[in-house]
Amino acid sequence: MLIRLLEIAAGYPRLLRVLAALMVSAMLLFLVDNFFVYWTEWPGIGAFLTHQGLLTPARNFKALEGFPLIAGWIQFLLFAATLLLVVWWVIRTPGRDMDDDGRLFDALASYFTRMAFWAVLLVGLADSVISFLRVEGFLPYIVGDHLTTQLGRSIFRGTWVHYPLVGIAAVIALFSRSIGFIWLSLMIVAAEFTIVISRFVFSYEQAFQGDVVRFWYAGLFLFASAYTLMHDGHVRVDVLYTNFSERGQAVTNALGSLLLGLPLCWTIMILGTSSRGSIIISPLLSYEISQSGFGMYTKYLMAAYLMVFALTMGIQFVSFFLSNMARFTVPRDETDERLAEPGGAPRGVEA
Amino acid sequence: MELVFLCLLILVMVVALSSGFPVAFALPGSAIITIALAAGTGYLFADDASAYFAQDGPSQWLTAGITNFRSLYWEVERDTLIAIPLFVFMGIMLERSRIAEDLLVSMAQLFGPIPGGLGISVVFVGALLAATTGILGATVIAMGLISLPAMLRNNYSRPLATGTICASGTLGQIIPPSIVLIILADQLSNAADQASTLRKAEYKELTGEFALPSELDISSASAGDMFMGAMIPGLILVGLYMLYILVVAILKPNTAPPVPYEGSYDRKYAISVALSLVPPLTLIFVVLGSIILGIATVNQAGAIGAVGAIIMGGYRLTQGRRHQYTPTIMAVVAIAVIVMLLQAADLNIKKIANQQEFVSVLLAGAAVLVFVAALVWSIWRAYRINNTLVSVMVDTAKTTSMVFIILIGAAMLTSAFRAFGGEELVRHFLTGLPGGFWTQFLVVMLVIFLLGFFLDFIEIAVVVVPIVAPILLSDTSANITAVWLGVMIGLNIQTSFLTPPFGFALFYLRGVAPPEVKTTHIYKGAVAFIALQLVGLAIAGYFPSLVNYMPNRTHLTADTAPPPVNPRLQLCIEEDLFPYYADNRQPLLDAIEKARGLDYSMLPEDLREDMMSGFDTAASTFDRVAAVEGTAAAVAGFSGGFRALHQQARRMQRGLDKLEGELEEARRQLVRLERRDPPPQDLIAETTGTIRQLETELAALEQGMSETWGVQHSQYKELAKADKIARGQYRRGVDEAYEPLAKLRTLLLDVDALEDAGTILDGVDRIILDETAETAMDLIKEREGVLSELEGASAIRSALSKARRALRGDSPDQEKSLAQLASARELYRGELDWRREAASTLLQPLNAYNNAIRESIGLRMQDRLPLDKAKSVATCLSHHRDISLHF
Repeated sequence: MLIRLLEIAAGYPRLLRVLAALMVSAMLLFLVDNFFVYWTEWPGIGAFLTHQGLLTPARNFKALEGFPLIAGWIQFLLFAATLLLVVWWVIRTPGRDMDDDGRLFDALASYFTRMAFWAVLLVGLADSVISFLRVEGFLPYIVGDHLTTQLGRSIFRGTWVHYPLVGIAAVIALFSRSIGFIWLSLMIVAAEFTIVISRFVFSYEQAFQGDVVRFWYAGLFLFASAYTLMHDGHVRVDVLYTNFSERGQAVTNALGSLLLGLPLCWTIMILGTSSRGSIIISPLLSYEISQSGFGMYTKYLMAAYLMVFALTMGIQFVSFFLSNMARFTVPRDETDERLAEPGGAPRGVEA
Repeated sequence: MELVFLCLLILVMVVALSSGFPVAFALPGSAIITIALAAGTGYLFADDASAYFAQDGPSQWLTAGITNFRSLYWEVERDTLIAIPLFVFMGIMLERSRIAEDLLVSMAQLFGPIPGGLGISVVFVGALLAATTGILGATVIAMGLISLPAMLRNNYSRPLATGTICASGTLGQIIPPSIVLIILADQLSNAADQASTLRKAEYKELTGEFALPSELDISSASAGDMFMGAMIPGLILVGLYMLYILVVAILKPNTAPPVPYEGSYDRKYAISVALSLVPPLTLIFVVLGSIILGIATVNQAGAIGAVGAIIMGGYRLTQGRRHQYTPTIMAVVAIAVIVMLLQAADLNIKKIANQQEFVSVLLAGAAVLVFVAALVWSIWRAYRINNTLVSVMVDTAKTTSMVFIILIGAAMLTSAFRAFGGEELVRHFLTGLPGGFWTQFLVVMLVIFLLGFFLDFIEIAVVVVPIVAPILLSDTSANITAVWLGVMIGLNIQTSFLTPPFGFALFYLRGVAPPEVKTTHIYKGAVAFIALQLVGLAIAGYFPSLVNYMPNRTHLTADTAPPPVNPRLQLCIEEDLFPYYADNRQPLLDAIEKARGLDYSMLPEDLREDMMSGFDTAASTFDRVAAVEGTAAAVAGFSGGFRALHQQARRMQRGLDKLEGELEEARRQLVRLERRDPPPQDLIAETTGTIRQLETELAALEQGMSETWGVQHSQYKELAKADKIARGQYRRGVDEAYEPLAKLRTLLLDVDALEDAGTILDGVDRIILDETAETAMDLIKEREGVLSELEGASAIRSALSKARRALRGDSPDQEKSLAQLASARELYRGELDWRREAASTLLQPLNAYNNAIRESIGLRMQDRLPLDKAKSVATCLSHHRDISLHF
């Protein structure tokens, strides 16, 4: 029955494309909205809709008035316009099929991954240099006393060192074509080996050295996840799966993306940002740093990793959904319809 | 209702997993779906989204899941997981640069000519490769591709060949440094924390005391501990495999014929064998050795391994080209220089004291630069040749991500499982099983074995272990260590992977085996190895010290070893020392008397008195030991009969608690019902009936708690208390006996320093008279600082500071200050005189006395256990000790 349902759905590729494009835009708009809510005076789309009576108000909800109300309207119109624009774009490009859109989303997810990689690489290098200079007391000789004090404050370092570097990373990622993040595995080896050398040869060990390893290692597996999905590297329980026909596998992947994958991404995004105290937003707002004092000041950025993970995985799941749906529309010879034999013997045993 | 959703959760999970969607997302996805459904139903039918949760609501549990998810890299305690990408990198590098393959080929050449030699070398390489890749599929496939054709070509019987390969491929799970051991360690240390909380709560409830004595606490497991714990069982398995192949080859020579080496045994052959064997073996010994000796952390060892693999790849990839070995030689020379420098000088970069050290540090820096250059050169080669580096990095990233996202996903699932009260349910089920710990243990092991047919190691480790391990670990009668549990689980899953018809290893091999090898051959081959596995499992299960000894020993001999006064070690130290006291009573007493007979007249009175009372206490040690032995024997004698009664009583106690809980719940239910409008009479009647029934049951149970239990329990408590007091007296006694000696020796050993310090009192009178009061006070203060670093110079110092304080205020009193200075000098002279005299006459005999009692009476006061004591204490700690009677 499910297959039938998906076959019918696959008969409307343009509808699916609209749906997919809307899902991706919704995720991006959700990010933008969070930026408005937590970093500007703007009310955010949630508060605006509540004000209009479309959502149930929370207990301490205050009605909007004055600038926030106007801002709310602007935001609402902008968001609505974006969504309409997306729909219009899909309708105006009838020549594209689902695979084309899938590839577009792949590219988008790769862009975010690449940007995150460059950001993590640059910030990790810069911050460990600053931390080293600071803990050894060299910083005042290089940048003066005032800047040294400033660099000891996480807000300053975040605003004037980390975020500009993230901006540069966004630009580099536009022009670079490499997958990037794989280099983090070599960087981890290098960073951990630096600890080995400095500890065993020179009896020198500082908190920031461990911090940089952790900073890169977390980036490695979270950023690599979307790529791993694209290349089918996540392990499956393949007792049944390998015996499915190509269509059966497509069903698994398409439904799995919709029902298992995307909800995970949305759960992370929504619960991670639901209030000022939630686990992504709170460290970001307070520029949280590790307890060790003279370690790196990058812990708050590691909270944002979750966002990068949820976003790249979300986009990748949409793309995965589309490309698997596309496998329904491609005409297939009838002999391949072996799906109806469930629970066939595990791979290779019958040989 | 929670139960319905718990079942739903499991159902959704089974469907999602068997649909073949990636495990990493199937697990959290099913958790989210079920939580959402529960919340939705609750909202619709009970007006409350959290109505159908065991406690808390949907968003709390989902947030808990995400927090858990984040803790993977957020919490410093989970840092050992960083070792995973490092070891993966090392393994894949060794594989891609074909070093692993070379190893197998030359081992086969080397061992081929003896009966079963090819099979034995496959086992050997499997164990080594295991150490490097640790991923089941990869090892089995690699070995299947390389060695299966060779074995078949040489007329090995197909079952034996395939069985050997499958079994050796699974060795990677258990032989360190395996990834799954790291993950198990991570999960188990978490579980041990929870178990410890459980045990503490139980202790408080049953004994009414607040703090659980630390010797009754649960021993946790770090990644290093797991590695060391798995080492001996792993080697036992390897030995069993090899022995089996050898025996088969001798009994049935046609199933495993010797493979004669075709070429000649010349220098070239020796060099090529050495080149392919020595480097990987060295690397593995360095990596594991640094962990076992407690030098490096697991992460650091991983980095060493990865760098070593890069350097080795650097020469292997450029075979036959110019400068093939140049970077390697550079690296080796650099390391040799560094090691020599480390032997010769202190290279601490923050404490460069003199010219020589400065030069050494510079040289070491240069050597490090040479090494780094060699490393960069090797990396460059790996990058240029066949794109090896990129493929290694891609695979490292993919494998790491695959492993970690499963860890993350399972965190979400565990959270949902708890949300619907699953954990409570499992606990009730397990603790309700008849037969106590061992039934629970066997049931858990069986479940894990069956799960091993469908799930990979990582999934089992992260899904099952957090749920069952706390329950098993908190059991007081078996009192198992986390390391032992981890190793048993590891061995169990490994066996599961070998077991037809579903074993993973068999599938992987089937995938790469040529068609003439039938599946039945693979099955048949596996059977013998399953038997060997079970033998290994039984050995490790029956002799837990095989697992626990290595971690304990490293723990007690490492630089960071706990001092002998640590309460956890006391019982074992006493167990070790008491026989020693019995055997050496006379020599010890003689030593004490001899030391007592020395002339102490030159000592200040308080010291002399301390020494004398120290001798008295030392001589009375034997009485205290006898007292402890008496109380311990009494406890042991009584425990024999008491244990069964205790067990029964505790079981009844649990029944009582459960009934009381139910009663409470029923009463609450009644109140709720009565508040309804209109009150549902039939339900109320029913609940009242339940309450009455529960009350009668409870009363019956309370009656059933036999009279003897109360009497015997208080008897036991008396005995245990007497034992505790006797041990306390013994411990305090030996401390008091040794302390005066230790103090006096320090004073006497310090005599030179005191003599040197004499100069600081010179010229102080000039300072007092000539300088302004301010400056004088500062200068004197400086000198006080020097004195405060000396042992036993506090009286002199305080006289000096009186001299300083006399200068304070508006009218500095130079007279008084000088007087105080004079008294400081007086004191100093007196101190120096007696110490000089005592040092010349007493120091030597006291050293002899110290040597005589240092490792017995004085042991608790030492900084660390001596090696032989550490070994015997480690052995003693390795046994699982039944502590249930303390509860």
